[in-house]
Formats: sequence, C-alpha cells, structure tokens
Amino acid sequence: MMPAMAKIQVLVLLLLYIAIQCGSLNVDTISSDIKIKNVDRSIDISSQLVKITSKVTLENTGKVPVKNFLLSVEGGAKSNLAFISAKDQNNKDLRLVETTVKGYDQVKFWRVELKEAINVASTAIIGTESVYTKALQPFPTAITQQEDQLVKYNGNLYFYSPYPVVSQKTNVVLNTKSVESFTKIKPFSQQDGTIAYGSYSNISPFTEKELNIHYKNNSPFLTVTRLARLIEVSHWGNIAIEETVEIEHTGAKLKGPFSRYDYQQDHHSGPASVRSYKTFLPASASDVYYRDTNGNISTSNMKVKKDSVELDLRPRYPLFGGWRSHYTLGYNVPSYEYLYHSGNEYLLKMRAVDHVFDDMQVDELVTKIILPEGSTNIVVNFPFTVTRLSDSLHYTYLDTKGRPVITFTKQNVVENHIQDFQIRYTFPRLLMLQEPLLVVGFLYTLFLCVIIYVRLDFSIHKPEHQHKD
Amino acid sequence: MSLEIESMVRYASPINPAVFPHLTMLLLGIGIFFTAWFFVYEVTSTKSSRDLFKELLLSLVAALFSGFGILFLLLWVGIYV
Repeated sequence: MMPAMAKIQVLVLLLLYIAIQCGSLNVDTISSDIKIKNVDRSIDISSQLVKITSKVTLENTGKVPVKNFLLSVEGGAKSNLAFISAKDQNNKDLRLVETTVKGYDQVKFWRVELKEAINVASTAIIGTESVYTKALQPFPTAITQQEDQLVKYNGNLYFYSPYPVVSQKTNVVLNTKSVESFTKIKPFSQQDGTIAYGSYSNISPFTEKELNIHYKNNSPFLTVTRLARLIEVSHWGNIAIEETVEIEHTGAKLKGPFSRYDYQQDHHSGPASVRSYKTFLPASASDVYYRDTNGNISTSNMKVKKDSVELDLRPRYPLFGGWRSHYTLGYNVPSYEYLYHSGNEYLLKMRAVDHVFDDMQVDELVTKIILPEGSTNIVVNFPFTVTRLSDSLHYTYLDTKGRPVITFTKQNVVENHIQDFQIRYTFPRLLMLQEPLLVVGFLYTLFLCVIIYVRLDFSIHKPEHQHKD
Repeated sequence: MSLEIESMVRYASPINPAVFPHLTMLLLGIGIFFTAWFFVYEVTSTKSSRDLFKELLLSLVAALFSGFGILFLLLWVGIYV
C-alpha cells in the first residue's frame, strides 16, 4: 500500500514540477477560437522610425470566453523592434508577456492579457503600437551635399498574425509625394503623402508578402549611439541630471566634398543634413549647461515654456551622413518634483530616459542614479525590462564611505520608453548633519593644531632672562 | 517597505534654497569673526596669560559657525553635497 502511495506522490510532484517549468518557459498555443474580423493598420515612415499602429477587431468564434490572445512579429523584423504595446477600447494599457509557440521558433510572440474577457460570439477592439528602428535603409547609400536622401522601406503588406484575418487595410504615411517606386498590389491608391492598400480579405495566418517603398525622406536620421544619464540626488533639495550624448547621422553617407560656402549661402543646401534639433527638458529645469570637451557650445538657445524648457541645440558643425558629435547636457531640478518621503522612507520617481530629439533612437542607454550617502534598503522598479549592472560607489564632496550608485542599461530605446522608474530607499534624516559636521570637525582639528603649536617652543637658545609679563 | 506613493508627501529641502545666500553670509560672518578673535588671542596672549578653556571655546564656536557657513556656501554655488 505505502509504496504505491509514495509513487503517486512522486508522480504528482513531478507533474507539478513540469507544470511550473512550462509556466516559466511561457509556451503558448494558438487558439483556433480567435478570428480577426478587421484590421486598420497605419505605417508611419515619415521619420527615421517605422511606427505601426493597428486597430484590431478580435472575434471569439469558440465556445468559451477568451482571456488572452497573441501578438506576433515577423522573424526578419524582430531585431529592429524597439517597442510594442497594446491598449483596449478604454485606452488602458494591457499587459504583454513575451512567449513562444511550438513550431514557430523564428517568430516572436507576445501574450496580451485582456482586462475583460471576450465573450462567445462577441468582439473586442484592441489598439497596438510598435516602433522599429533602423528599418529604413538609405538607397543610394551615399549622396552629395545637394542631393535629397532616398530611403527604402521593406515590410509586410499584411498584418502579421497567428489568426486568420477576414478584412484588412493598410495606410502608409510618407509625408512626401516623391516616391520612386512602391509595391503595387491591387487595390491600392496614392494620395498626397500616403499610400493606401486594401482592403484585402481572408488572409491566412502568418502570411508574409513583401511591401517595398522607395521614397524621399529628408527627416533627420540621427542616432544616439550612447546616452549616459546621470542622476544625482541631494537631500538638500536638488536633483542634478547630466546626460552625455554621442550622436551620429546614420542616413545616407556624404559623398564628395563639403562646401561651407554653399551650405551657408543657400538654405536648401544639404537637405539631408542636421543643422539643429530641439531637446525638451522638464519645466522645472534650471542651471542648464551644454558643452563638450572644448567647453561651452554657444550656438544654443533656451526657451522657458509653460510645461517644458525647450532647448534649441546646434552642434558645432552640421551633421551629414556618417558624421558624429559628442556633448554633455546638464541641469538641476528641485527635489520636490520627483522625490517623495514618509518618515525615513524615500521614493524617487523619475524618467529612465528623457527626450533628446523628436523621433529619437538610442542604441545604448546607461542610466546611473547616485543616492545620498548612507541610503540603505534600496529597491528598484523599472517600467520596462532592463539589464541591471552591478551597484557601485561614487565619491564626491564631503563623502566618507561613498554614495550608492544604481546602474542599468538598455539597448534600442525610443521615445515610447520615456517612462518613470521608481527607487525606494531608507535614509535616516539625521545623517544629513554628517556633511556639515565633517567640515566643523576639520576646522576644529585645525584650531587644535594651532593651540598645540603655540605651546611649543622652537627657539634654539633659552631666553637669558624671563620677560616681565 | 510596501509604501505607496499616495501615502507619501513630496520631499523638499529642510532649508529653503532661497535662503542659502543669507545663511551663508550670516554664518560665515560670525564664523570669520570668531576665527579672527581666536587667532588674535593666540598671537597676543603669552604663556602665562593663556586660558585653555577660552581657546577651546572660541575655536569651537568659530569651527561650528564656519563649518555650517561653508556648507551653505557650497549649496549656494551649486555643489549639492
């Protein structure tokens, strides 16, 4: 009797273990109950990014309510994907979980967890947004100073989905009429700056059809190759932020010479170059500095607006394809904007990355947060998945054992990643007195040395007679 | 540790940054006065007229005021320690 019981116990444990393992590996299956009734897709390729927004009408054709569904991205495009999100009818963000499906190893899947289940025979409208970087290839790859920049977009004509799509439309926004060539699969229409495809009906799951558009795109093709963001918290009421930016023009390379005369003379010269761009800082930013290794870059303007501080940054030289630049931008914000407390518990809520320029793409982001000396119990909460690097110590004025530094990094960052992280920590308030007392202690030792010094006698010979005091 | 942001209040400096210049002036002024007094006392007093207690007291007051004055000077010029 007993061995049998033990066997069953072991079996149950094993099954439990397998179930847990499966859960952690995130293996999903494609439900045959879901059908996509309609997809309205818009592909915005007017900037250097590819922004795809789709309105997906899901229908439950099964017999049980559907609680989640899968989003997929083509195997060829997944390395360019920087950001993906889904919203329900009420414009509330839905939770996305990375997952895999057996038999589709090349495809990237997300399981979208719905807030309200789709009942049998009813529909739900989901809005999805995805942003791709480096998906537009300049062609020709090198142009002269006077030429316009032409780029090629290579995408999928159909909405890529693990479910059958009954009807779908795609709108490609180019913001230009000068299109060299584009895929012509009927029905389609070209109007002003957009190309409309569809509607196409009854497309089976995982259908890929090439969509090629070769067009003029003179929008700034600027890549921040490395963005190091340093946040230093002081409990004396200030948060200092410093960003070290390495920037490169990643559009078509400049072919032939660069004429500063032509560039200055004719404002239409160098259409693909970047003269200046705008950076938006928080409204409370003050003491802004913009400098590089040579010193202050004076060709910049600052405008204080109602809800932001607008910086018009002009690099020392215009940026043409393949040219790069490097600068440091720093400012202060008051602590009450981002720091909260309750007793000795503190919470810092700040942007993990901030605006550098519109439609920015950042290859590598490194954010460092320097907390006050003596902070303990540090708990960090990130808005998206990041790689947390090892904690270190930072030494600056009036430090003894160093300030704790939290560092994290992320590749392929776009504007949609401008979200808040949260750091909780404990800091005994009395510890703020440590800094002034250090100075006091130092001065007092100095004075004590003087007191001792005046009592020492360095004369070589004894006075012959005592002075009368 | 599970504190919610709603139950927390915004953290402002214990001393309003607007008064940093005034505090610096006042504290450093007093600090320098006592420092001067201390040094003048040190060089003018002789072995017999020296009072250790007075020296220690003067230097302590000078160190306290100068120390806090220097801290606020640092904060005023933007070195947020």
